[in-house]
Amino acid sequence: MLEIDKLSVSYGTVHALQEVDLEIAGEGVLHGVIGPNGAGKSTLLDAVSGRRRPTAGAIRYRGQDITRRSVAWRRRRGMARSFQRTNIFQDLTVREQLSLVAWRLGDDRISDVIEVMDLGDYLEERAGRIAYGVQRRVDVALALIGRPQLLLLDEPGAGLSAEETLRLFQHVRDLVGERRIAAVVVEHDVDAVFACCGVVTVLDLGRHLATGVPAEIRADQRVITAYLGSAA
Amino acid sequence: MNGQAATRVAYRRGAALVPSARGSRRILAGAAALLLFTIGAFAPQYLANDFLLRLADGGLLLGILALSIAFLMSQAGLVSLGAASVYGGVGYLFAIAMSQWYLSPLAAIVASMVVVTVYAAILGALIIRTTPLAFMMLTLAAGEMISHAVLLEGLRDYTSGADGLVVSFGGTLFGLEAGDFANSARFWPIVWTAAWAIGSAVWAVRRSRLGAVLRATRQNEERMRFSGFDTYGPRLAAFVLANVIAGACGLLHVLNSGFVSPESLGLGLSTNALVSALIGGTATSAGPLLGGVIFAFAQDQFGAHGLTQLLTGLAIVVFIVLFPSGVVGAWRDFAQWIWRNRNREAG
Repeated sequence: MLEIDKLSVSYGTVHALQEVDLEIAGEGVLHGVIGPNGAGKSTLLDAVSGRRRPTAGAIRYRGQDITRRSVAWRRRRGMARSFQRTNIFQDLTVREQLSLVAWRLGDDRISDVIEVMDLGDYLEERAGRIAYGVQRRVDVALALIGRPQLLLLDEPGAGLSAEETLRLFQHVRDLVGERRIAAVVVEHDVDAVFACCGVVTVLDLGRHLATGVPAEIRADQRVITAYLGSAA
Repeated sequence: MNGQAATRVAYRRGAALVPSARGSRRILAGAAALLLFTIGAFAPQYLANDFLLRLADGGLLLGILALSIAFLMSQAGLVSLGAASVYGGVGYLFAIAMSQWYLSPLAAIVASMVVVTVYAAILGALIIRTTPLAFMMLTLAAGEMISHAVLLEGLRDYTSGADGLVVSFGGTLFGLEAGDFANSARFWPIVWTAAWAIGSAVWAVRRSRLGAVLRATRQNEERMRFSGFDTYGPRLAAFVLANVIAGACGLLHVLNSGFVSPESLGLGLSTNALVSALIGGTATSAGPLLGGVIFAFAQDQFGAHGLTQLLTGLAIVVFIVLFPSGVVGAWRDFAQWIWRNRNREAG
């Protein structure tokens, strides 16, 4: 589905990502990305989604090199993302924004998204006036429209309680399984990642540290030293 | 219902970013608008003297120019300071096409509007991606270049320099002669009809999918791109449309006055139109049109006291502080407040 080949991203003299290799292979896989602050997790999603242009390396999506493709082009071909900070249309109602995006992507089944993200009670509310937790769900819902093949979720649990985060992760895991799509989720809530993700990648200081199933990652001494510490 | 139809229904049920009215309310609103249009087109000719009509003609022209600015502001979040350069530029093109290329009035109109559309498309393609502040300064720069170009000695044979150009209007345009456009009473129904036609077109665009895309882009361009939208094309279309409105307004002006001068290209006129848009409110079609009329009458009254600039400045501050959403916006907010209170008491 997604192949990342020696990807590097720099902000001036700061190397946010350095020669990261990663493969998101299977359909129906929820792939977690964890790591300490400054590890390059969000930068990785920014580069893959087209928000940030890599300084080196290549990104292949479904066999095609998309490194220089625009954000909108990637979205129209099934790569969607949500954001660390809620990135929705604050002055539009929930229904208006979902309908607008559905129209663009030719998705005639937004009721599925509304149901999955449990937004039925908020459709006529202006997004800026609803609770933050619901706004997060709208953000994810916007990414789910158009039946994407690859979902990139940047800290979907930011600002949510542990319980809400876990519920959101379960929603996403179920969706990924049902639709046989791939999803990459960056998250600080390690418990939620280990509970819901089939594969976990750890980044540290912009470099790839480890990739494996949750049990392997929990037991990896390098990961424990760099990030998990006593939490493991 | 097939998939596409379901999407369309969902989109419309979502009010298409604008609230939809019930059928009966629509018919009532349409009848009221038709009545207002008819009364407005003919009553002033019997009720107002020549001076007032001339003032109203000018005010409505300023209002149409303000509408072009307000459209871009409210839909794309961009402020253009170059509206007058298009307004006056079309006037020059029309005058040159009539006097020196000997085109018929209709051909001169078509030619000048084609040139303006191409100009707007090229300029827009270059500047529409910039930040709002840079966009404003670039429209100002482009406008100033045009207003100085007409003063160039090399173009004097075409533009007559600072003296301006008199339009040699030969023949008729839709059965109307030059005298019909110059007569304030006979020009009023023309400019009134044009204001309604342009206002309705802008209203329709606001309610269209293009309008929805523009407003969503203004709110969150990044999310639009991450939703698969190309944000460049719609913004460029909005810029071209705003300039076409300014051009149409310039044509009406030159037909009415029979004369075009460098003053009609200047920053002063652009800022007057911008202030008119703010006075009336940018969110509706009626706001800028009303703002233009208020501005024209206020200028006349302030001028009578010999304190035009001072009182204009004062009035602008008062208006913008008291009515941040403009006169029409304030009226709409007030009406909604009354409506909500009535519903609360009833329910």
